[in-house]
Amino acid sequence: MERPWPDEAVDFQAAVEGALSRLGGVELTRRVEAEPSLRDGELRDALADLGLLDLDVHGSPVEAAAAARAMLAAGAVVCPWPLVQHLAVPTALRDRIDRVYLVDRDVRRAEHLDLAGRSVALDLVSGEVRELTALGGLSHAPLDPFGVTCELGAVAADELNGALGVHVVLAAFWVLGALGRARDLAVAYAKERRQFGTRIADFGGIQWHLSDLAVAHDGLWELASFSLGRMIDDRLLAADVLALQLTTAESAQAVMRHSHQVLGAIGLCEEHDVTLMNRHIQPLVRRPCGTSRILGLLVEEISRSGFDSLYPVAATAAA
Amino acid sequence: MTFEDTEEIGQLRQRIRELINSELPPEFLRRFVVDEQWQETATRFCKRLARDRLLTFAWPQEYGGAGASIWEQTALREEFWAHHEPRGAQYMGVNWVGPAIMHFGTPEQQHQHLPAIAAGDEVWCQGFSEPDAGSDLASMKLSAVRQPDGRFVANGQKIWTSYAGFANWCFLTARTSTGTRKQQGITVFLVPMDRAGISVRPIDSIMGPNHLNEVFFDDVILEPEEILGELDMGWAVVELVLKHERVGIARYARSDKILGDLWKVVQAADGAGSEEQRAGVAHGLVQARIARLLAYRTLVSSQKDGSPPQPSVARIVSTLLDLQVSELAMDSVGAAALDPDPESWHGGWAEDAWRYAQSATIASGTTEIQRLLASRALVNGA
Repeated sequence: MERPWPDEAVDFQAAVEGALSRLGGVELTRRVEAEPSLRDGELRDALADLGLLDLDVHGSPVEAAAAARAMLAAGAVVCPWPLVQHLAVPTALRDRIDRVYLVDRDVRRAEHLDLAGRSVALDLVSGEVRELTALGGLSHAPLDPFGVTCELGAVAADELNGALGVHVVLAAFWVLGALGRARDLAVAYAKERRQFGTRIADFGGIQWHLSDLAVAHDGLWELASFSLGRMIDDRLLAADVLALQLTTAESAQAVMRHSHQVLGAIGLCEEHDVTLMNRHIQPLVRRPCGTSRILGLLVEEISRSGFDSLYPVAATAAA
Repeated sequence: MTFEDTEEIGQLRQRIRELINSELPPEFLRRFVVDEQWQETATRFCKRLARDRLLTFAWPQEYGGAGASIWEQTALREEFWAHHEPRGAQYMGVNWVGPAIMHFGTPEQQHQHLPAIAAGDEVWCQGFSEPDAGSDLASMKLSAVRQPDGRFVANGQKIWTSYAGFANWCFLTARTSTGTRKQQGITVFLVPMDRAGISVRPIDSIMGPNHLNEVFFDDVILEPEEILGELDMGWAVVELVLKHERVGIARYARSDKILGDLWKVVQAADGAGSEEQRAGVAHGLVQARIARLLAYRTLVSSQKDGSPPQPSVARIVSTLLDLQVSELAMDSVGAAALDPDPESWHGGWAEDAWRYAQSATIASGTTEIQRLLASRALVNGA
C-alpha cells in the first residue's frame, strides 16, 4: 500500500526552499565557503526561525517526514550547516549534544566541527558513542571545504538510540536534493545547448546519460522514501540502513557523473553549480567509509540477520 | 511516500504460494521451458485459477474478474513471475488482451472473448513485430486490403511471436491505409489462428523451442467485425497494450527469489562462494528492492492520473537486474551451472535463468527504446 507524504511535510519543504532562496540559494554556499563565519549568523538564524533545528525526527512521524523534505531543500543548495548531524541527535539529548557524526572505528576529519557546541561520534558498527574533539581550523580542501581535523575522545555515557538510522535517512534526502538540482541543470542545458545544428538533448549519447541519470536518482528516491517509512514505523533494520548508505553513495556518483558529462566542460568550472554541489556532497557521501566497506558490512549483516525482501533471506551465520 | 505490504496482501501471497506448490510439479517451477507437456500443465493450472476467479483477478467483476485492487494484482503478478509464470501463454490474454478488449471492444467482442479468457479457454498470441518492424513497430507492413464486400485480405509476415503454435487467437496489427504519419493507417484485428492462410513456423532460440515463431498470412480473410477499435486507428490500441505489457511482467520478483537461492549457494557451510560473490548477491538484493519500489511507483502514478503508466525507468532497472542476477547465478554455481540436469546438486536452474534473461533487455521494447523514452520524459517533462 502507498503511504502518502503529509501535507505539512510538503509545505515545510517549500518554506525551507523559500528561506534559503532569500539568503541567495547556492550563492550563499559560495559566500560561506569564502567566509565561513557567515554560518553562525544569518544562516543559523534562518534555520532556527523555520523551526528546522527543533524538529523531533525520532518521535513524530510528521516531523520526521518534514525533516526529510527539508533536507531536499537544503541539499538543493548544499546548505553549509550540519543539519543531518544535528537532527540525528534525539531531542531529549539536544540540551547536551549538538551534533552526532558517524565514524567507522576511527576518524581524522569531520565537517563543521569548528562550530560551537558538543559533538560526539557514533561508531557505525559497534554503536559506541565517544566524544569528538576538533584539533584545528577548517581544511578548505576542495572536496571537504568545511572539514576539521579531529580526534576521538572518551567513551560517552549517552545512548543515541536510533541516531544511526536517522542520520543515514536524512543524509540520503540531503544528497537527493543536490542530485535533483544537478539533474535539472543537466536537462535544462541539454535542451538549450546546440551543436551540429541541433539541441544536444536529441543526441542518442546524451539521451543515454539522461536516462541513466534518471534511473540513479529515482532509485535512490524510492529507497530513501521506503527507509524513511520504516524509520517512522520503528522497523528500520541494520541491513536497511546499510542498503540505503550504499545506494546513496552509488547514486550520487552516477548522477553527478552523468550530469557532468551532459554539461561538458562548462560543468567542470568552479562557477558552475554542478561542480560546487559535487564538491560539497562528498563529505556526506564518503564518510564514514566507502562503498566497498559498506557492501562488506552489508554481507556480514545479511549473514547475521537476513534480508527482508519478497522472498526473505534467512540469516546464515551462527549466532 | 513509500510502500509496504498490508496483512491482507501477505495472506494473499501465502495463498498463491500454497496453490502453486500444491498444483504444480517441482520441475515446472525450475524453468521457463515451453513445450506441449508444460503447456497442458499451464492450461490445467489456469482452469484451477479460473475457478477461484484468480485468473482474471484484476478484471472488473462484470467481466468475470474479481475486481482486485492494484496491490492485490501486483502481488499476484509477482508471485506468478517468481514461479516461472505458471499461467503460461494465458498471461497475455489476462494482462493486456482482455483489458484492451474491455477498453476498445464492441459488446459482441467483449461477450465473445472476455468470458473465454476468464475461463482459461482462449490462448492469444501477439501479432505485432515484423522482420523490418521491431523497435520501430509503426513501420509494420503486413497489409489488410479492403474488398468490395467490406471484408479484408491480409498478406504479410509476423515474427518473434510467442506462443503462436499454441494460440487459438491472434491480436493482429495490420496496415489498412497509409497516412501522413506511419502510426496512422494501422488497424487491430482479432483473428482466429485456424483461419485459412495462416501458417506458423517455430524458430529455435537460446530460450528453447516454441518460445518464438514466425507467422505467415497468405490471402487471409478478415471480417470487419473482427476490427478492435476503429479502422486505421489501431495505434491507440497498440500504445495501450504496450504500456500494459511493459509494466505487466514483475521481473524483479523472480530476480528476488533467485537471489535468495543464490545466497544459500554462496554461503554454503563448506565455504563455497567468494567474498566477491557474496557481495554481488547482497548488492543484487538491494537492487531488487529498488526495482520493486520503482515498479510500485509506476503503478501508483497510473492510478493517480487514470492513464497507463510511463514505466521506462522501472523497466530499465528491472531488465538489467534480470541480466545481472542470471550472470551472478552462473558465476556463483561455477562451471557446474552449464549442466541443466534438475537432479544435479544445484538443481540445473541457473543455465535456464541465464538463457531466458538474454531476452530481458530486448523483449517488449528494448532497453535502448526505454532509455529514449526515459530521456524524453525528463526533457519534455512528461
